[in-house]
Amino acid sequence: MPNTSQSTYEVEQGQSLWKDAFRRLKKNKLALFGACFLIFLTGISLITPLIAPYEYDAPDYALGAAGPSAEHWFGTDLIGRDLFTRILYGGRISLMVGFVATAVSLLVGVLYGATAGFLGGRIDSVMMRIVDIMYALPFTIFVIILMVFFGRNIILLFLAIGAVEWLTMARIVRSQILSLKEKEFVEAAISMGLSRFQILTRHLIPNTLGPIIVYTTLTIPNVMLLEAFLSFLGLGVQPPMSSWGLLIHDGADSMLESPWLLIYPSIALSLTLFSLNFLGDGLRDALDPRVAKD
Amino acid sequence: MKKIVLKRLLESIPVLWAIVTITFFLIRLAPGGPFDREKELDPQIQERIEAHYNLNAPLMEQYTDYMGGLLSGDFGPSFKNASSSVNELIAQSFPVSLELGFYALCVALLIGLTAGIIAALKPNSWQDYTPMTLAMIGICVPNFVLGPILLLIFGINLGWFPVSGWEEAADKVLPSITLGAMYAAYIARLSRGGMLEVLSNDFIRTARAKGLSETRVILKHALRGGVTPVIAFLGPATAGLLSGSFVVETVFQIPGLGKLFVESAFNRDYTMILGTVILYATLILILNLISDLLLTWIDPRLRNA
Repeated sequence: MPNTSQSTYEVEQGQSLWKDAFRRLKKNKLALFGACFLIFLTGISLITPLIAPYEYDAPDYALGAAGPSAEHWFGTDLIGRDLFTRILYGGRISLMVGFVATAVSLLVGVLYGATAGFLGGRIDSVMMRIVDIMYALPFTIFVIILMVFFGRNIILLFLAIGAVEWLTMARIVRSQILSLKEKEFVEAAISMGLSRFQILTRHLIPNTLGPIIVYTTLTIPNVMLLEAFLSFLGLGVQPPMSSWGLLIHDGADSMLESPWLLIYPSIALSLTLFSLNFLGDGLRDALDPRVAKD
Repeated sequence: MKKIVLKRLLESIPVLWAIVTITFFLIRLAPGGPFDREKELDPQIQERIEAHYNLNAPLMEQYTDYMGGLLSGDFGPSFKNASSSVNELIAQSFPVSLELGFYALCVALLIGLTAGIIAALKPNSWQDYTPMTLAMIGICVPNFVLGPILLLIFGINLGWFPVSGWEEAADKVLPSITLGAMYAAYIARLSRGGMLEVLSNDFIRTARAKGLSETRVILKHALRGGVTPVIAFLGPATAGLLSGSFVVETVFQIPGLGKLFVESAFNRDYTMILGTVILYATLILILNLISDLLLTWIDPRLRNA
């Protein structure tokens, strides 16, 4: 992705890089399937309250746990709530956590990594040593403690998950910046009199976009997994609100009598994780053709 | 080498101290205490219980007391299991978790390395696609989904394995697979990548040109370089195994430390939480150190870095 200092070339090359990547991505059927499924899921999540056939917390005690039928596509849970509706609402939560917490980790990770890589020297080694040490911390344990002691609210959940996931992003961005800042176009920018901040934000960070996009796509499933894990332990989203982790937990409790309560939420979560991982892999191959040719 | 180990060990002391201190104040500053009940206790009884556990002393005094106990290896009494100390509870449950983690790691390495190497030998053939698709499934089906589903199929419907407990060998099959599956998947992908890279090197061509058998080329020449990404992954992965054990021990009703930790967190059992946090943190620091040392042993080029 070498950039020249002449702006006309810059625009042309930038376009062709993304066009090229998109062309390669289109050939990858699994990644394309992943992208379509995610767009579909996001669309549905946005209009869930309009299309959900029932209320997510409306019980039907007379009905109880009933298997899939024409009225209740995925069946109902122990107190007769419609499982399809609850999966739709759970998907909203999972996607929201996925996107927001990833955005937190993206912001922190990119800024931290870019600063360390750009400043270099002793500041860099101290900053990266901190990241190394934090890597070694039992973060899941801290998240559990945080959730137990400070109430299970969703904003804390976003922050806690985001705080765990920024480390790898910081490492990736730093190593990219380290190799980029030796390139000629940075020298050109310096000789044109740009400030360090301008060089960082206008020239260096945009050039690391490829790896950042790829890693972001791969962070979202991790984040969703962590939320589902916490909800499964009873520490994430609280009932009567629904979340996939919570549904799987309830399903596992009653899988003997009503296995559909376990199976449908599991499929929903796994299919989403599949799509994200395939899309991430596909994007990596598309944006970094050297890897794909192996 | 000795210098590196010593330096890393010395470095981990302040890290451990920081972890203990942060956790200590975090859980005490949070609203609610270990002896809050839904029904209010007689204030006198409440006071007596708290005095017994030194909970009404000033915070700093509690802290210095606790740290003093720690230095002599005493984690204090458990707040919820009045008859046992934290040391005893950990001594009971930690071996169980260690055993589970060990089996899971064996499952992961055995399946993961085999699948990864087979895939790398015939890239872009069905021997590559089948294990890699399976690996993708392994990554996308989290252990709290896999556990109940394995339980449903093999424990309940087929009746091959017991549903819970941790005594006979048969008890240990499903939990170990549940915990190890995701790591097997990651290891398969990493070892495939590592092997592919090594196999394209000139020294492999030389080895083949010398007329060595393919088995010898792979096991003797390629494997060493091919597994480096796996070893780099193992250090952080063990941290993941720990949090996985929270789920697996809960699902399969295994009396291990993971289950105990989750319960003590819910119960606000301060000393028990602190004890497990210290243990886990120490374990993770040591395992990361071992994984780094293994890396430099396998790849001497890293020694000067």
